[in-house]
Amino acid sequence: MATADGGAYSYSLTVFSPSGKLVQIEHALAAVSQGTTSLGIKASNGIVIATEKKSSSILIDDSMIEKVAVVCPNIGIVYSGMGPDFRVLIARARKSAQAYWKIYGEYPPTKVLTQEIATVMQKATQSGGVRPFGVSLLVAGWDTNRGPSLYQVDPSGSFWAWKASAIGKNMVNAKTFLEKRYNDDISLEDAIHTALLTLKEGFEGQMTEKTIEIGVVTVPTLEELEAGKIGGETGRPKPTFRKLSEEEVRDYLAL
Amino acid sequence: MSIMEYNGGSVIAMVGKDCVAIASDLRLGSQALGISSNFQRIFPVTDRVYVGLPGLATDVTTLRERFRYRVNMYTIKEEREIEPETFAHLVSSTLYQHRFGPYFIEPVMAGLSKTPSGGFKPFIAATDLIGCLNFAKDFVVAGTASAKLFGVAEGLWEPDLEAEDLFETISQTLLNAVDRDAYSGWGAIVHVITKDKIITRTLKGRMD
Amino acid sequence: MNSILQRYSGSNAGGLSKSTIDEDNDFSDAMWGSEAGFGTLAKGVPGFVVPSVPDPAAFLRLHTDDHADPSCRIKIQHGTTTLAFRFQGGVIVAVDSRATAGSYVASGTVKKVIEINPYLLGTMAGGAADCQYWETYLGMHCRLHELRNRERISVSAASKYLSNLVYSYKGMGLSMGTMICGWDKTGPAVFYVDSDGTRLKGDLFSVGSGSTFAYGVLDQGYRWDLTDEEAQELGRRSIYAAGHRDAFSGNTCNLYHVKEDGWKFIGNYDITKLHYEGPGDVAGSPGHGYGYDMRVEGRSSANPPEAPAQA
Repeated sequence: MATADGGAYSYSLTVFSPSGKLVQIEHALAAVSQGTTSLGIKASNGIVIATEKKSSSILIDDSMIEKVAVVCPNIGIVYSGMGPDFRVLIARARKSAQAYWKIYGEYPPTKVLTQEIATVMQKATQSGGVRPFGVSLLVAGWDTNRGPSLYQVDPSGSFWAWKASAIGKNMVNAKTFLEKRYNDDISLEDAIHTALLTLKEGFEGQMTEKTIEIGVVTVPTLEELEAGKIGGETGRPKPTFRKLSEEEVRDYLAL
Repeated sequence: MSIMEYNGGSVIAMVGKDCVAIASDLRLGSQALGISSNFQRIFPVTDRVYVGLPGLATDVTTLRERFRYRVNMYTIKEEREIEPETFAHLVSSTLYQHRFGPYFIEPVMAGLSKTPSGGFKPFIAATDLIGCLNFAKDFVVAGTASAKLFGVAEGLWEPDLEAEDLFETISQTLLNAVDRDAYSGWGAIVHVITKDKIITRTLKGRMD
Repeated sequence: MNSILQRYSGSNAGGLSKSTIDEDNDFSDAMWGSEAGFGTLAKGVPGFVVPSVPDPAAFLRLHTDDHADPSCRIKIQHGTTTLAFRFQGGVIVAVDSRATAGSYVASGTVKKVIEINPYLLGTMAGGAADCQYWETYLGMHCRLHELRNRERISVSAASKYLSNLVYSYKGMGLSMGTMICGWDKTGPAVFYVDSDGTRLKGDLFSVGSGSTFAYGVLDQGYRWDLTDEEAQELGRRSIYAAGHRDAFSGNTCNLYHVKEDGWKFIGNYDITKLHYEGPGDVAGSPGHGYGYDMRVEGRSSANPPEAPAQA
């Protein structure tokens, strides 16, 4: 019964193929690589994550589409793959961040939140009656423990930390491009430009503030940290992750 | 009779200059009857955080194990030691989880928290038995002698005490307050936490 | 429950007058002045002002310390340890000095032995005011007895006078547990009297929340033929035990010894000092602290005695 497409093993998620593969997970990765390209770059003073958002029709109101999502004030996520699956994961991630806040009075470190999401995604590879998530994620965040960090999570539930990475349709080219461009002391401004340049490679159509989404992590200064501590004026930490507005994106594209 | 007074005992924590102190009496009673003069109710959480658990003795043990479990899980998961502020929130949420069947404990926490610039800042806090946090800048008290501790501490505490002076202040405050409380006393223990060492001393107290 | 009934039946509780007027007006102006002075007993004791309600006892119970109601306003001191015992050399009376209101240690220097007269001592447990007032009152009547009969009152008679007196107020909320101790024609005597009306003659009594601890030491060490020194040490050691273990007893121990020629105050001992150092240079002193750790120093599991050298 073993055929090229996985045959009998391709439908039962919880059964390994004789070659040791879970074929559904590979199919999920295939779904990801059909998705629009997203990328992330860690800079010396922050992180940028960016993606293209393409609408299948000019009639779609693209102000509704959100591909870079804020999870909590210090963490944001971008994805490639299936939009609906991403929406579900973001809802879970946000809940998880708030649950963490309820217990510890602070938002989770990037690694902890990434782990949490990865666990959710792993469960979908081992439970009955479900399919794996059809997305890969780039999680960017800042915390006191590890500073700025960038993680990639795949449908299998595995995750890695990156200095720069790309996912989706053009990931191979984009990664090659990033490897050439990246250096350890790149500034956030330079990283944003590198991100746009990388996206431009293989971009179909016009790159505008409507077809690009950017999120940035900025490393807070010592003064900002002191003020954000308990007993600070607002009692609420200043966000270290934010999405760039359309105006800001337009300005970066113009340069 | 109040269940909070069943076993007796009190804890106090004070802020000093770049140091904090936490102290407790050593009595374990069964109402009026004194059982033990060596009952420990202050426990280390990390190298820089201590927690005191005055209240019902059975819950002292249970809660201590519960906090140990949750702090260990935190340490492993996050690959770092818990900060005093974070621990205080953990205590608070653990207690509120039992809002409708509480642990009869009013925890007191003392520690040094890391500042963004790499220094250490004194931190003390206390909660009621269902986790209402009280971050104080001077001192916090709890237990059967809390009213008396408040009175004496109000009179003796002053800002920016050095470790040795803070030790003297917290010791005198505790010893004199528990002498006016029937359910606390029978000796005392004091911990002073400074950035490079922890001073722990057992004090002789009135034995009645 | 019975207030309506009582209001219409017009009965008075215990025959006490329900006076609503200012009590000072019961005395003429002259009595306040030089004629006789307020101290005169011409009118006997000043009477008690009773709340003008149908059931004064029930009214009082609402406001005083009732075992069923810990939130009451007036706290009456319950925690105490007192003891007295009779032996060959007289009577030993020993008490602690702590007064508590709830868990608050209101005083550590209370005199719980009431010196009724040079031959009679009364101990105080329960309501401090009740004990103080009625035992002083008892002293007054003991003196009147002496004047009338040209001889000292017996301990038996004095204690019975007190017992009958408090019995007449039964149900009105008096709270006393006392030992009337002294020396009379019959020799050393101890009587236990309480506000329920109980009156017991005996060799050895202890009263109060710490009494069980005192009894433990007392029973173990008591003999009729104790020497004076041994007896005093036993009293001291018993009060120490109670002061140590009982949360509502402690601070200091007051020790009295009644002999044929009347009572003598032996001393005041700090319980903590007894714990760590012992009673000091006094008769019967063991020469070390009473505390467990001091007694077993070098002989406990934590600090065991050196094993005898093997041959």
